[in-house]
Order: sequence, then C-alpha cells, then structure tokens
Amino acid sequence: MRWLIGALGVAMGSWGAFLLLPLVDVNLALWFIGGPVVHDLLLAPLLGGLGLLVARWVPGRWRAPVQVGGLLTGVLLALAVPLLWRPFAGSPNPGLNDRDYLVGLLVAVAVIWLGVLAVTLTRPRADR
Amino acid sequence: MRLPTRESSPHTATRIGTWLGIAFGLCFVTGVLSHYVQHPPGWFTWPTRPVGLYRITQGVHVTSGVAAIPLLLAKLWTVYPKLFTRPLVKSVPHAVERGSILVLVGASFFELVTGLFNATQNYPWQFFFPPAHYAVAWIAVGALLVHIAVKLPLMRTPAEEVRRGPSHPGALSRRGFLLTTGGAAAVAVLATVGATVPWLRSVSVLGTRSAALPVNRTAGAAGVSAVDPSAWRLTVGDRRFSLAELAALPQTTAELPIACVEGWSASARWTGVPVRDLLALAGVEPGDVRVESLERDGIYRASTLPALHARDPLTLLALQVDGETLPLDHGYPCRLIAPSRPGVTQTKWVTRLKVVR
Repeated sequence: MRWLIGALGVAMGSWGAFLLLPLVDVNLALWFIGGPVVHDLLLAPLLGGLGLLVARWVPGRWRAPVQVGGLLTGVLLALAVPLLWRPFAGSPNPGLNDRDYLVGLLVAVAVIWLGVLAVTLTRPRADR
Repeated sequence: MRLPTRESSPHTATRIGTWLGIAFGLCFVTGVLSHYVQHPPGWFTWPTRPVGLYRITQGVHVTSGVAAIPLLLAKLWTVYPKLFTRPLVKSVPHAVERGSILVLVGASFFELVTGLFNATQNYPWQFFFPPAHYAVAWIAVGALLVHIAVKLPLMRTPAEEVRRGPSHPGALSRRGFLLTTGGAAAVAVLATVGATVPWLRSVSVLGTRSAALPVNRTAGAAGVSAVDPSAWRLTVGDRRFSLAELAALPQTTAELPIACVEGWSASARWTGVPVRDLLALAGVEPGDVRVESLERDGIYRASTLPALHARDPLTLLALQVDGETLPLDHGYPCRLIAPSRPGVTQTKWVTRLKVVR
C-alpha cells in the first residue's frame, strides 16, 4: 500500500515537473523556493517570538484567548494583502476587488478582539 | 518512543494533515476539472446540468484553497522544530525524504499564494499563471502522496501514546490548538466565500465581488468601442443576421450564472436566441462551435463551445440581461451565455459562430 501511494506520488510529481520545465525561469524558481524560505526564516520565528511575548507578558487567564485572537487576526491580515497591496493588479473591473477592504478588515479584527474580551471575562477562573 | 511536547505530537500533525489533505484533494480535483473544461482532451465531456455546476466546482476550488492557508501554517507549526533536527541528513532515504518535504512545502506555498493573488486579479510575478499553477498542482499533490507514504506508520500511532505530553496551564492545549486551527480555517472561508455565496456577501469583508453582476473585462480594456447597431452583423456559417433580425427571433429567458475561474460567481436573468436555433436557421450541422468576438486580440477573444453545450436549449446569444439591453461592458450587442461554463469562455461582443467539427 505504502509503495503504491509513493509510486503514484512520484508519477504525479514527475508529470508536474515535466509540465513545469518549459516554464521555469528565475522568477518562477524564486516563487517556488520563496514560500519555504520566508516561512522558515521569517514567519515561523516571528510567530514563535510573538508566542513567547504572549507567554511572558500576558496574564494566564488571558493567554489562550489572546493567542487565538492573534492567530485569527494574522490569518485575516494575510488574506487582505492581495486586496490592499495592488501595484501589480490587472486593469480595474467594476464590481470586483473594489470594496473598502481596509474598513472591512478593521471591523472583522475588532469583532475578533471583542470576542477575546468577552470569552476571557465570562470564562470561569478554575484554571488559576 | 520519545514523549512529544505540546503541539508537536504526530497525533496533532496527523489530524491537521488530514484536514489539509482533504482541502488539497478538493482543490486538486476541482482544479484539474477546471483545466479540462477550458482545454478539453478528446475523452473529456463536461455536463451542461446543473447549470451552476462550474460555479460549484470552482467555488469549491477557491474556497478549499483559502481554507488550506491557515491549515498549512498550523501544520508547519506542529513540525517546525523538526527543521532543526541534527544531523541534517542521516542517510540517503532521509535526504530524499527531507528533499521531498522541501518540494511539498515549496509547491504548497506556490499554489496557495499565487492562487490567492490570482483570485484578486493581482499578479506580482512574471510567469503566465494558468499553466504554472496547473503544473505545480501536480507536483504538490505528488509530493503530498510521497509524504503520506513515508509517514503512514507514524500516522497509525494510536492517539493515546501521544496524548501524554505535558500540559501547560493557561496556554493553548492540544485540543485548543486543533479548535483554533479549525476556527481559523472557518474564519478564512467566511471572510472570502461571499464572492460566490450571495447571502454571505456582507459577512465576507475580504470577498472579491461587490456588485450584483460584476464586469470582468470592460469594453475599454478589451479595445471594443461603441458598436453601431445598424452596421453590426452576426455571421453564422454563411448566413448573416442583423441585430433587428436577432431581436425578432423567438427569445429564450434563462437564469444562468457567470462563474469565473477566479472563484466569484453571479447569477442573472439572460434573454436571447438559443445558439442551436441560429445554427439551424443558418443550415449548419451542429458540432463544436467557435465563438468569435469583436475583440481584436488577446487569448480570450474567442472560445470553443463543445457540441454538448451548443445543442443545449439554454445556451444563448443573449441580447438582454435582467430585462435590460445588454450594456457594452457586458458584451453589447450580444454575448454568449451557456450553462455550466467558466466565465472566461462566455465570450462577449460576439460577431461570428463557426462550427469547427
């Protein structure tokens, strides 16, 4: 079973590589390797560092809700990047990508942190 | 067995990996379908019903990709310490395994990041997106299968063996981490899915669609200026129709979605002449139909309508949308609108129908 899955994987990956080969240039290679590099050297240490700061400075009762709120905020920020940073966007299309994303993002983040506040204040203090 | 620490047990990694695998699987299957709908191999047929089929498959494609973003980050978080395992490589198989993981992570980020940007019509790269995104999808899923094959014994480790890790009061528990990851995926989906699910449009603050019926390529961008309705003709085979003749033919009205490859979709009520009626009037044998536009160039100036769609009574050359004359940006004087087709193939500003086989 393992060998079957592995062989299928190698076959599919090779097919992809065959399709990709004629398209490969420096730009595409950078985009391919950029994900792991940016994640491993920048994003993960940054998140780890923020986690340490939270563990160090945020009181126990607030710690988990703040972590959850921070993670959800981070996910929304990541999704908002292509909507807010658009020097490489195509020509504008009426009705597409033209909402006020900054306001939407701020409202969503505010809702998340109100949730953090509500959960922390209403949670029983059993874990202290 | 080494006692795993919080958030780094095979159990958590396996759980999140399973969710991520499901998201990648959905994304891959719907993506390959979308590729085949646009570049059909000989053996491939795509049904015309339900009329919203492509709307559903492409909505699932973009939505599962969005959900995979927090899942991928959570998955990497559970295994991040392993990146610093020393020695860097223990043996040839170990080197191959680490290499395959690098390919898997590279391909995964490539797919999710380029997909997310492309869905917002933002292209901060120099390659042509569709073939690159398609090729790397095969690499990502291939590397994922290799990864599953390598990790299968570890995935089968009973959960009890890995649950005995130390617990840290106050911080996120293993259960809390899983719940947060699921919650983050749900928040990501809610924030964007309104682009294709109308009743969530106001909740999806990061949704791409703002209007009831967006315009994906304006007449200006396509290089189509005002059309003179008295001079314009539609050529079908050897027959030519004026706009007045088209309007005098029996009209069909149908509720059909425009479903974009970029994941947004919008339904509208289209009125026009069925393509199969026009082919019959022109006396041409039905088959695959080449639909050409007034657009001078660009890869989307023409599309090929498969015979199955050309025969469908709901495949229209629409003259009206929602009871109004088609606006120029929506393809005046007439546009193709067929059930269950990608928006990019719903050619606007049509001038010619030609049976190609």
